[in-house]
Amino acid sequence: MNVRMYEGLFLIDNAYASTEWENVVKHIQDVLQKNGAEILKTEKWGEKKLAYKIKGHKRGTYFLIHFNAKNSAIVTIRRDFQLSDYVVRSLIVRDDKIEELSQIGLSEVPVEKDNSKIPEIADTVLLETSDVPAKVSDGI
Amino acid sequence: MSKRKFNKTSKCRFCRMGIEEVDYKDIQNLQKLTTTQGKLFSRKRSGNCAHHQHSVKISIKRARFMSLLPYVT
Repeated sequence: MNVRMYEGLFLIDNAYASTEWENVVKHIQDVLQKNGAEILKTEKWGEKKLAYKIKGHKRGTYFLIHFNAKNSAIVTIRRDFQLSDYVVRSLIVRDDKIEELSQIGLSEVPVEKDNSKIPEIADTVLLETSDVPAKVSDGI
Repeated sequence: MSKRKFNKTSKCRFCRMGIEEVDYKDIQNLQKLTTTQGKLFSRKRSGNCAHHQHSVKISIKRARFMSLLPYVT
């Protein structure tokens, strides 16, 4: 019965990601909503080279999604994504702080220990985060 | 003088940055904590405190699973 916040990272087959990205996103959101999850934030990472081959794939597209769900629904969500054709690999992790984590994921800029620089970096990161979700939501 | 220098360097890198839990998506920082082979650095080599070394261990293993970092190179 407990509702918690989760973070899912999905590795998506590049063949589907380049041709029918909208269907892939819709499929992932359908699976989550079917299991009673509430989607908070989505984010597309670009195409990346994988560190090692997975099922013959050398490159893949990552899709990050934050959602609220009951802890009992996670088992079925995980199984549904394992059966999916689009999703090569998925990782669902419990997450308590949505903003901080998304900033790290988006920026990919190591924060320096120098105190004078931190406010500037934080400002630019905030701008980026406000821009990117808008684009993603348009695409959906 | 020397005492102040010691205090600065004595904290682990994540304590200095003010990060509570290490994120598995933060690959640039995690890569600095692995050898060229992809093995984890020891606590002695990385200089991390117990709390952060533990979360580095977990997040590197998550990043390996999602093919963000290599198991072996």
